[in-house]
Amino acid sequence: MKILLDGHRRGASRGAAALLGVLGCLTVLAGGASAAPPLQLPAIADSATMEHHPGKIVWADLVTPDLETAERFYGGLFGWTFQDIRAGDSEYAIATVGGHPVAGIFKKAIPAGEHRQPAWLTFIAVRDVEQARREALSHGAKSLAPPKTYAGRGGQAVFTDPQGAVFAALASSSGDGSDYLAGPGEWIWSSLLTDDPSGSAAFYKAVFGYEVFDLPSDDGAQHVILAADDYARAGIHTLPPGHRHPHWINFVRVADASRSAAQAASLGGRILVEPHADRHGGQVAVVADPMGAPIGLMEWSDQYTQDEAELK
Amino acid sequence: MRIQFPLWRAVLIGGASLSIVAGCAVGPGYGYGGDVGYVGGYYEPSGYDYGGWGGRYRVGPPRGVGHEGGHDSRAGHPAGGGHPMGGGRSAPSIPGRPRR
Repeated sequence: MKILLDGHRRGASRGAAALLGVLGCLTVLAGGASAAPPLQLPAIADSATMEHHPGKIVWADLVTPDLETAERFYGGLFGWTFQDIRAGDSEYAIATVGGHPVAGIFKKAIPAGEHRQPAWLTFIAVRDVEQARREALSHGAKSLAPPKTYAGRGGQAVFTDPQGAVFAALASSSGDGSDYLAGPGEWIWSSLLTDDPSGSAAFYKAVFGYEVFDLPSDDGAQHVILAADDYARAGIHTLPPGHRHPHWINFVRVADASRSAAQAASLGGRILVEPHADRHGGQVAVVADPMGAPIGLMEWSDQYTQDEAELK
Repeated sequence: MRIQFPLWRAVLIGGASLSIVAGCAVGPGYGYGGDVGYVGGYYEPSGYDYGGWGGRYRVGPPRGVGHEGGHDSRAGHPAGGGHPMGGGRSAPSIPGRPRR
């Protein structure tokens, strides 16, 4: 079968035909994309405070190949409940605790034959995601996904920092939520484990405007605090021996890290770091969910922080 | 003048264009979720190994009174040890106000 074309010059006709082929394919591609309904994501803040706290860790999304198993695991471990959101082939669930949105879980199949690691993605608040993208790229980040706006949530984009850790920037359309002490089942802390803490600190300071503090250390590793609004927002730590690549890890507040770690194992997860005392006086542990995504557990006695809040 | 242009060439060119477009949507080494319409889903390129966390490897935030660092928050700042690069006041802690 052949397509018949009229024209004065054979070369011009071939070019026109090729252009038609390209445009046709792009049209098909665009048509396929537009056929899927857009994903509607709720606001990250349960009340639209419109407070903005650039540099605050405001959200986390898990990507997993098994949404039902993930919901069973995190529901059993933290008491999260879920609201499923579907659009076309996309399956996404919003986790809530105490009626407050706390996290998202996104279902995505792992391509056959590929060895990949499910992970939680850390979202850092920005006022303008396009500006954050420009700043990040100009300081050595790479773009994994360009800015995209979701009705209800806001604009978000995903990057790797200069050391290779993946993170996201989020300009929330409902604000970033007020600063308060995380309750049980809520995110209380985030840490970046990296092979160059000083370099990473310089990058995040440049992009998000953090104040950077060195912490005293007796373990041979460097520990840095990123602060904004006069609050500690995240830590940066030397990647321990044996870790393969830099990454963020987020911690959920629990009443008893040992009990929660054991519960994680009974729910099909496994313990990656045994519970042990941390600098704040409580226990921390790291567990993996049944699909292998790591998540931190952290105890926090709120007596001291409440005293401090009253003095602020 | 009448010329012929085979369909297979148009299909070949179109297929190559699709490959280029699809390739642009995937980050290097990461199973990125942009292809299913959501910016946020990704897989790390390889597995984690959490060995190497010695007992003194501490990742938590600093806190104030009575803990490491020894600075007294009642002096006006919730200090938990540490200092800004270049000197000055101590590192702050996390928010302490309970949710209302």
